[in-house]
Amino acid sequence: MNSELASARRIIRLGFALTAIALIAVAGVYVRALMYTPIEVRQGAAQKIFYVHAPAAWAALMAFSLVGIVSALYLWLKDPRLDLFAASSAEVGLAFSVVMLTTGPIWGKPVWGTWWTWDARLTLTLMIFLLFLGYLTLRAALSDPSERARFSAVVGILGLVLVPFIHLSVYLFRTLHPAPILLKPSKPSLPDTMLATLLYALATFTLLYIGFVTTRYGLARAVAAQSGREGTDA
Amino acid sequence: MPSTPDNAGYMIAAYVITVVVYVGYTISLWRRARLMLRSEDD
Amino acid sequence: MASWIRLAWLIAAKDLRVELRSKTALLSSLVFAALVLVVFNFARDASLVSSTVLAPSVLWITIAFAAVIALNRAFNLERENASMSGLLLAPISRGVIYVGKFLANLAFVAAVELVTLPLFVLFFNVDIWDSLGGLLGVMALASIGFVAVGTIFSAMVVKTRFAELMLPVLLLPFMVPPLIGAVQVTTRLLSGRPLSEMLGWLRLLAVYDVVFVTLCVMVFPALVDE
Repeated sequence: MNSELASARRIIRLGFALTAIALIAVAGVYVRALMYTPIEVRQGAAQKIFYVHAPAAWAALMAFSLVGIVSALYLWLKDPRLDLFAASSAEVGLAFSVVMLTTGPIWGKPVWGTWWTWDARLTLTLMIFLLFLGYLTLRAALSDPSERARFSAVVGILGLVLVPFIHLSVYLFRTLHPAPILLKPSKPSLPDTMLATLLYALATFTLLYIGFVTTRYGLARAVAAQSGREGTDA
Repeated sequence: MPSTPDNAGYMIAAYVITVVVYVGYTISLWRRARLMLRSEDD
Repeated sequence: MASWIRLAWLIAAKDLRVELRSKTALLSSLVFAALVLVVFNFARDASLVSSTVLAPSVLWITIAFAAVIALNRAFNLERENASMSGLLLAPISRGVIYVGKFLANLAFVAAVELVTLPLFVLFFNVDIWDSLGGLLGVMALASIGFVAVGTIFSAMVVKTRFAELMLPVLLLPFMVPPLIGAVQVTTRLLSGRPLSEMLGWLRLLAVYDVVFVTLCVMVFPALVDE
């Protein structure tokens, strides 16, 4: 058991190191976005929210996909470490989706004139948030470790399969009932500096996800090692 | 020609919330790790 | 092929018999449905909002909530947990057990829907005779979708302390595509729109059902086996 704890500690240390680097890089993104990227003429300074919102959404979606995929792997291979990783990804994903769900409306209000529209993207962000919440709440409510792992794996898999359906149904709805959008934020035709800032932000937030999930996973492994059996509280 | 809207307030709000969540989560991880590893050293 | 259907049906019938004896869940669903219909009827200004606009949404909100209440009858599952372990000892495929549970839940939700529909006609004064077949069809399609996932979740949450709270929290995202599709089709049915306008939605509902029933049959063993 001691070697298990030792590897867990190493993972935690690695995780914190990666997180620290990522946070510094995030600071770099802030500097670049706020000071060295031009303001979009029609949307104003609020357009820059895009540089923190889009990468957070990307990270949340990535976290969510990994929960689903690793859950499926767990049910197949039965390795408890896979379950610990899925749970870690869910918690980290929740953090990113909080950012996504708050910055989204804050961006929407000045640019689209409304805090919320039930379009495909925003609806999906809300659903993913609820799915993360449901997944983590279920885990917290189950005390038997085997049940916890198996049940949340099922939720993870079902949730991942659900995402395309939500996207499809809202998209189908929207093509028939287009929402009044005053200014459509430009995505494909971004000038070079803006595109570079966006890509830099995406890379940084990805690194932050990796740092967070590594740390959280190490923590879960440590708790599991400490209790001497498979994940009592992970 | 419409002038660029003055909505920097929203931008600041979003950037602040983002960093608060990330730093907050990092602190949460840090505290849980310390609590866990400290109890192990007993 | 026939024997597993018979087995699933036996399991479903047993569940339904337990249900009919207690009747509490069925009654609460019905009272809830009536309550919603009454409230909505008094809440709107009939001259401003026409029945045809409001009715489909109200119908489906009612069905959705009543279905969740019905699925929460998982408490009955708790009582028969002894019988569940008995079932698991028998050499029956786990998938068959799931189908049995699913059918029981579906029959139950269907019963609630079939009583809600006349109430709905009564309170909203909508004419459904022309579109009755289509209505029953879309009700079946949508219900299959969320009952499939709901059966899995109600089997899970019965092991937790806050089952009645957990089930809606988990189930809500999964009800979104069937509900959107159902409301869209119902709206068009009640307005007498041609079938071509509903095909996309009906296809979505059908694919959702096939995918999730299959998936749920596949994951159910993970819930009951170690």
